[in-house]
Amino acid sequence: MHIPDGIIPLWQCLIYWVIAITFLIMAFRWGRKNLSDKNIPLMAVLAAGILIIMTINIPIPFGSSGHIVGAAMVAIIFMSPWAAIMILALVLLVEGLVFGDGGITSMGANLINMGICGGFVGYFTWKALYKPYMGSDGILTGSGILSKWWSIGVASWLAIFLSAILAALEIGLANFFPIRLGLLWMGSYYAVIGIIEAIVTVIVISSLEKVRPDLLGWNKLKRAQTDDLESDNMEVPSK
Amino acid sequence: MKSKNRNLLIGGIIVAIILGVLSPFISSTNPDGLQATAEHLNPNAIQNPGYWHAPFENYKVPFLGNGPLAGIAALVIGIIIALGLVYILTEILKRRGNTEN
Repeated sequence: MHIPDGIIPLWQCLIYWVIAITFLIMAFRWGRKNLSDKNIPLMAVLAAGILIIMTINIPIPFGSSGHIVGAAMVAIIFMSPWAAIMILALVLLVEGLVFGDGGITSMGANLINMGICGGFVGYFTWKALYKPYMGSDGILTGSGILSKWWSIGVASWLAIFLSAILAALEIGLANFFPIRLGLLWMGSYYAVIGIIEAIVTVIVISSLEKVRPDLLGWNKLKRAQTDDLESDNMEVPSK
Repeated sequence: MKSKNRNLLIGGIIVAIILGVLSPFISSTNPDGLQATAEHLNPNAIQNPGYWHAPFENYKVPFLGNGPLAGIAALVIGIIIALGLVYILTEILKRRGNTEN
């Protein structure tokens, strides 16, 4: 999924960089308001874990392979796409500068695809499919079109699939390959890779819920109502 | 740091290192989805313009050869850098947030 240097023209890279930096500044503002001694270790562990898991390419049909991106996972855990943008930005920076995985000029486009698209699509798809709330009996519950775990799986599948579609559009706009064929190939590959992403996301979040349920965003509902929490997590302070 | 958070950090680092050690052995050598698409549709145009030469290109420490050890060492270095970067950045953001409040 990492677009290398030399595929997208520099002037288009510049546009993607400006968009990426704008979102990154807003993610840092979210961080100033929401980071604490409690969630910093989780953020560090997720960054290291995503860096490593991205290096494990899992074989898929058609002679290709794929890796987990993890943006939807982070966004759902923190109940905020800004957390995903912040973590993916740091992971992509290390991958690009230290390991040469993904380009320097194309890093803005890669952050848009994997961090911004992945985080926002993953979070809001999950929110559309499932809504956690505190029952009148004080027990945390939820309702929606799908169950909690199915909604997380579908959201993470859609997040990586649309990230790949966006990457195909950017590469197509760069005239590297025809957009229609690029969408077809990338869509086919990442529709399969998305299944792996969905399974891993569900495993990681369910494991975290068993070990440290207090770190999951939706368990903060024990202290705040859903709407308050959402406004806390989505709001970006003005300064 | 509270012991619960320290345990999470240590546990997470251990899992990341285990995956890092396994990665060179279990990772597929097939091209990833984007590479495979580019190879199908425009194989002759894939060229690295050489804007940047990463110190551990292709997730390998150069002076350790081309074997699994070079890959494992590179990934352990990657874990340390990622943890360090996230900690520094998030601590700065947290302190700035505290100051503003």
